[in-house]
Amino acid sequence: MMWHLVKIINKEWLSRDIFSMEFTLHGLKPAPGQFFQIRINESYDPLLSRPISIADYEKGRLLMIVKIVGRGTEILSKKKTGDEVLIFGPLGKKLKIKNKKSLIIAGGIGVAPLYFLAKSLKKARIDFTFVYGARTPSELVLKDEIKKLSSRAVFITETGSNKAGTALSVLNELNLAEYGAGYACGPRAMLVELKKMNLQFPVYAFCEDFLGCGCGLCLGCAIKYKGSYKRICEDGPVFELKGLEFND
Amino acid sequence: MIEIFNIEFQNPVFIASGVFGFGLKYKNVTRSVGALFTKGITLLPRMGNPPPRIYETPCGIINSVGLENPGVKEFCRSILPRIKKINSRIFVNVAGFTVEEYAQIVEEIGDRVTGFELNISCPNVKEGGVLFGQNPKMAAEIVRVVRKRTRCPIIVKLTANFCDPLKVGRACIDAGADGLSLINTLYGLVFDIKAKKPLITGGLSGPAIRPFALYCVHRLRELKVPVIGIGGIMTGRDAYEFLLAGAKAVAIGTAVLRDPYAPLRIIEELDTLLKGGK
Repeated sequence: MMWHLVKIINKEWLSRDIFSMEFTLHGLKPAPGQFFQIRINESYDPLLSRPISIADYEKGRLLMIVKIVGRGTEILSKKKTGDEVLIFGPLGKKLKIKNKKSLIIAGGIGVAPLYFLAKSLKKARIDFTFVYGARTPSELVLKDEIKKLSSRAVFITETGSNKAGTALSVLNELNLAEYGAGYACGPRAMLVELKKMNLQFPVYAFCEDFLGCGCGLCLGCAIKYKGSYKRICEDGPVFELKGLEFND
Repeated sequence: MIEIFNIEFQNPVFIASGVFGFGLKYKNVTRSVGALFTKGITLLPRMGNPPPRIYETPCGIINSVGLENPGVKEFCRSILPRIKKINSRIFVNVAGFTVEEYAQIVEEIGDRVTGFELNISCPNVKEGGVLFGQNPKMAAEIVRVVRKRTRCPIIVKLTANFCDPLKVGRACIDAGADGLSLINTLYGLVFDIKAKKPLITGGLSGPAIRPFALYCVHRLRELKVPVIGIGGIMTGRDAYEFLLAGAKAVAIGTAVLRDPYAPLRIIEELDTLLKGGK
C-alpha cells in the first residue's frame, strides 16, 4: 500500500452533484469493493482523507465517481482536469465474485463500485441483472454504460414519470429464484430493508461509512458482523448481508 | 539516539497508543520509530463501543473506540511476540477498571516489554479511565500498587480534562512513576442537528488541540522528569516545539490516520531541525 500522486486526466460532471475523475495508474490489480483514500488538501481541515470506491480500472485507467455529500467531497469537486491528487490504496479486502447468475442492486451513488463489479462479472462471463435506482432521472449516472454491459438492466427513480420507486421495489417484479448471488450498494437504509427481504441467495453488501485511517489501524469504522465488530476498511468493505447487524 | 530511563531509543519519535493497533501492519514504520505504545490493553477482551466511533471536526477528530482489544492473555500469547520481532522498544498501554486490574495486567506481561504506560485518562469508557486520572490520590494509588509489581519503567498517561495535569503528574511521580505522557484526548461532542441529540461524544485529538497540549507539557517542566509530549503533532516542526517545551520525546497519534507513514516523515524533519537545518 502506498501513496500515488496522480494527475486527473479527465474530470466530468455527470449530474448536478456527481462527477467522475479518471487517472492513469499502471500496475494495479484491484478487485470490486476496493477503494482509495483521497487526500483532500494540504491543510488540516478537513484532516482526514476521503474513501472513494474504484468505479472502474482497465489498462491502467482508474475511474472514480464521486457525489458531493459534505465538505470533503465539495472541495474535491473543485479539482480540474490536469490537477494532481494524492491517493492511497487500493484498500479493502478483495471480493471474490461467485460463478452464479447474479443480481446487482444499486441505490444512488452506490452504483460506483457496482459498475466495476458488473464489468468483472461480464469479463468472467457470468450472467447478471443490474437494478439501479436513484432519486431523479438526472442522478442515474452511467446509464448508457450499464446498458451496454448487461443483458438486463432496470432503471428506476423516485420521481420517475411513468413509474416511480426504488431499486428494492423493482425486486418484487423479478423472478428471484433465478439468481444465485446478489451484490448491493446504497444508503444504509436500503441495506437494512434489503436484509429484511431475506433473499434466498447470499447477498454481498458494499458498506460505506466515515472512515478514520481507512487502512485497518484506528478501529474507527466498526460495523457489527456475526456478533462482533469488524472494520469496514480492512475486514470489508464487502460483507455478507445476512451477517450484518444493523441495530446496535 | 536518545536515552530515557537509562534505556536507549533510536530517535525521540514514538507512536502513541491507539492509532497504530499493534504495529504489525506498516512494519517499516513500526521498525523506524523510537518506540511503540500499544493499543490499550485490558484484563479481559473488550468489543469496544458501538458506532459511530469516529467523527471529523475542524483540524481534528473525535473518537470513541472504547478500548477494543483482545485482553492481556491473548495479547501476550499471540501479539506481543510478533511486535517484538519488529521493534523491541514497546510500551504497553495498560487500562484497568479497578486499581487491582492495572497491577494484574502489568504482572501478566512481566518484563517482556520496555515499560508500561498507565492509561488513567481514557474518556471513552464508563468506569475507570479518565475518572482515575482526574484525581491525584486515585492516580497515585494506581502507581503505588503497580510499582510493587514491576521494575520496568512506568509512564503515566495524563488527562487535562477538567483537572491540572501538573498536580496529578506530581502525585504520580511521588508515588513512584518514572515518567509522564500527555495529553490524552480532550472531551468533545458533536450534535446531530436533525435528531437534536448527540451524534458522538468522545475524545478530541489532532492539530486542533496541539497548542493546548504544548502548554500542558511546558507546564510540567518543573517536575524535572521525563515527559512524552502528545497532541496533534503533524510535522517535525511540531515535534521540535514539544522538545523545546521540555519533552524528552514525542508520540504521534492522529497524524497516522491521515497518513500511516507520517512518523517516517516526522523523524526526518525533526532530525534536520535538531541538526540545525531548516
